[in-house]
Amino acid sequence: MSETKTLTFAFMDPPFEHERTVTFFRLLDTALDRGANVRVFAYEGAVTLSFARQQPHGNAVHGRDTDEEAHPLTREWIASLQNKASSRGLQFEWINCGLCVDERGVNEVIEGCGRGGPPDLWRYATTGFNTLTIGTR
Amino acid sequence: MKTLQVIDQAFRATTEEQDDPILWLTRSMCGAGATLMLLLSGHAVQYATLSQRQPFLRLGQWQQTQPADIPGDMTNLLDSGVPVYVVREDLVERGLGETPLHLGVTTIARDELPGLYEQADQIWQW
Amino acid sequence: MSDYLFIQSQDPFTEIRAGHQYRLAQQLREAGHGVTVLLVQNGVVPARQEAQSPPFDSLLKTGVKVLADGFSLRQREIGEKQLKAGIAVCDMGAAIDAMLAGHKVIWH
Repeated sequence: MSETKTLTFAFMDPPFEHERTVTFFRLLDTALDRGANVRVFAYEGAVTLSFARQQPHGNAVHGRDTDEEAHPLTREWIASLQNKASSRGLQFEWINCGLCVDERGVNEVIEGCGRGGPPDLWRYATTGFNTLTIGTR
Repeated sequence: MKTLQVIDQAFRATTEEQDDPILWLTRSMCGAGATLMLLLSGHAVQYATLSQRQPFLRLGQWQQTQPADIPGDMTNLLDSGVPVYVVREDLVERGLGETPLHLGVTTIARDELPGLYEQADQIWQW
Repeated sequence: MSDYLFIQSQDPFTEIRAGHQYRLAQQLREAGHGVTVLLVQNGVVPARQEAQSPPFDSLLKTGVKVLADGFSLRQREIGEKQLKAGIAVCDMGAAIDAMLAGHKVIWH
């Protein structure tokens, strides 16, 4: 039986600002589809992706109330991927860079997301199989 | 495992973070025992030519007290044993072809990049 | 020899560095390495048949495998038959498979 490989991803973008965020989450989702464990090091703006206080809203321009609009929230995306990993017996770890969290005041994060720093990125990278870093612009 | 950090941008967050976030990340990982190389390309080649701290930002009554010290950060990285490369053509196209570089930085031609990429087990582009 | 996969999000119309990035892919290919470029986001824009980008067209002639992300194409309503010759449509699986194969996967 082949051993499950672990892939590490480092990301920097916050939600709602760039296409990179969607592509990043698609990569995580596909990694789970391919049977890989996933580890994420969220750096700089990306630490806001797991902020527990993200709230959906309606949209008058769209003519939709809050429920109808069903606005995407990255904290829900993360939770969904956590559940997917769990249902497949895979690991899904998420560490936010702690200093980046502090300066943004986003200390309340959803369950399953932890706090760390650059040594964790190196630990993830050296104990995992491969790493992809996605910088911001 | 040896990793090549590639920095292509500059000054994106240097005022707010009081450093370049990727130079900082690199220095921090070195402290954790990482084996890293650094490639400055694009606008980031400017980092290899800086000799002073960044200017202080002032907004209303607020005055910055600790602006980024890119030359100091570069010295720390080099002293930590991180080889630092800078793309020669990117210096030239920015008018920096004749500007003195930070001591210890090595210039590399674009055509030599494949060789540098082969020296690393992983390439982390930021 | 190594294998490289570049996830190419930058496009030559807004990012002048894209031309250098295409050239790096070509150079690695010329050095004998396996090279794939996976176009994503606005990186797919030069892949449209009528798009005008000599640096991108040059990349297509070099033996570098060029893939285009289907989701990004659908967003921009670029049909498979509207792509320049030699470009295959794929999804993020191409990038993950490369990572799982131990290739050097690099985001541009």
